[in-house]
Amino acid sequence: MAEIEEGRSGAWLSGFLAWLVPGAGHVWQGRWGRGLLLGGVVWAMFVIGVWGFGGRLFDPLNDGASNALERVYGLFDLGMGALYVLGWATGIGFVDRAELSTYEYGNAFLMVGGLLNYLVMLDAFDLGVGRKA
Amino acid sequence: MIHFLAMVLLAACVSLVFGVVGRATTSEQWRYGLRVFVEFVGVGLGLAWLLYWIP
Repeated sequence: MAEIEEGRSGAWLSGFLAWLVPGAGHVWQGRWGRGLLLGGVVWAMFVIGVWGFGGRLFDPLNDGASNALERVYGLFDLGMGALYVLGWATGIGFVDRAELSTYEYGNAFLMVGGLLNYLVMLDAFDLGVGRKA
Repeated sequence: MIHFLAMVLLAACVSLVFGVVGRATTSEQWRYGLRVFVEFVGVGLGLAWLLYWIP
């Protein structure tokens, strides 16, 4: 019984780590290849989104948002965990560059990257709890 | 052209994650990831072609 409880808490921790630093949940479980591959994709999407295409991150709590959908976009972006928090703290990725022709592509990369990291997080949890082999 | 390349890049990223997360064995992961990639690009091109004819 204690082993099951320990396994569950480990699964929650790996899920949280996977959200915080994309790929870290799997690496913490010792699945280096899977962690580096999945985390690498999310990190790459962040870099491509912000610096490659000039997209921006949205704030889900922004009361001054001109479009209510921006709050939903913010929830998608929040999936990137520490990358989002670091961007929020430093201002990186929160600059609106709508004048760029690739701005919307960048936004799509950032939102999809966040959503994919939610999936990666669930994968780490499922592996930790033993639902997947 | 950059629009198409961005779509292909996005499809590659998504299909990679879907492939790894969605299937158990390596061969199944490759097959599923490739299928998702082809579907993404195919549906994207199909929709683009449809929209081209709609004024």
